[in-house]
Amino acid sequence: MRIGSQNFDYIYDPAWRAGLVQNAFGKSFWAFLAGAVILGLICWGVLGAETVLVALKEDIRLLIGLMPRVLVALSIAALIWVLLPRDRMAGLVGKDSGIRGLVIATLAGTVTPGGPSSAYSLLAVLAVSGADRGALIAYITAWATLGMQRILIWDVPFMGEEFAFLRFMVSLPLPVLAGLLARKLPLTLTVNDPDAKKRGEA
Amino acid sequence: MGFFVLVALLAVLLGIALRRGEDFGPVVKRFVEQFAMLVPRMLCALVAAGFIAQLLPKEAIARLLGDEAGLMAIPLAAAVGLLVPAGPVITFAIAAVFAKSGASTAALVTFVTSWSIFAAHRIIIYELPLLGPSFLRLRVVSAAMVPLLAGVMAFLVGLITAYGTATPM
Repeated sequence: MRIGSQNFDYIYDPAWRAGLVQNAFGKSFWAFLAGAVILGLICWGVLGAETVLVALKEDIRLLIGLMPRVLVALSIAALIWVLLPRDRMAGLVGKDSGIRGLVIATLAGTVTPGGPSSAYSLLAVLAVSGADRGALIAYITAWATLGMQRILIWDVPFMGEEFAFLRFMVSLPLPVLAGLLARKLPLTLTVNDPDAKKRGEA
Repeated sequence: MGFFVLVALLAVLLGIALRRGEDFGPVVKRFVEQFAMLVPRMLCALVAAGFIAQLLPKEAIARLLGDEAGLMAIPLAAAVGLLVPAGPVITFAIAAVFAKSGASTAALVTFVTSWSIFAAHRIIIYELPLLGPSFLRLRVVSAAMVPLLAGVMAFLVGLITAYGTATPM
């Protein structure tokens, strides 16, 4: 389906749809559901039916507050995903990049959208294309602690904007620090997986 | 208030995308994919977390991670963060429960940071296969102090202002 220059052809791709259903209601969904049911039963057994109802009512209240934030955050994440030039990031963090390279790596980690699959794939590509070890550590540490997507989707809705901002601010210098430490450490780093690059780009 | 900041950010990004004549196909695709990946499990985790909230010994956690524990709460929170081998759904639900049960802001910052850097499932699923054990070793040694430093800085901020107190949903 195309609307002007807008390409929505993937809607008709059966593989894409199957992947979607797999992601939404795959094994881990049923594991989550089973976990919720088991916990509910334990709650019933230990604390009684009334407590189960109290918990469920609280869940509904929570959900009504959470959904608008999740929808807006997902929209933002999807736009960033498309607007960001991901492929150009690899060349900026080479062996002689100094502190500047660590800062760039930190920035890149902060704005890298997507879950661990995209961050670790990019990291693997960087590792085999001559990025410095400090930059690698700074990048993945920044993605873990400062990642905008995680902060928008998780910190903000679950813990509030103030907490999210505080956590971001106190963590801001830490990826560069970890990167500096990684450069100083007398540890050997051998990223010799011959398939790392190929898999990373897949 | 925070929600309006998000909406404003969305409006700005939308404006940039429209100006650039961006193809919205991939945007919608990404949105749908992430929604499918996130929301069904999030609903289950929310319900599960609600029950955990009822079952958890809140007083014990409040005592261990609460304000009166001061700096001692920080290494403990870092250790608790290492013990959560799960994605953000469960971790943040747990963090919200800790917050409601009286854990200090510094302890919460430490817990979330510790988990975000060392989540065991991520190491097993992505890091070891893609980068290998020597990278993991380098990273663990380099980043070990990050959760503790984040917690100490949050603690210091907490001496000056109450800003940053979690308001869990």
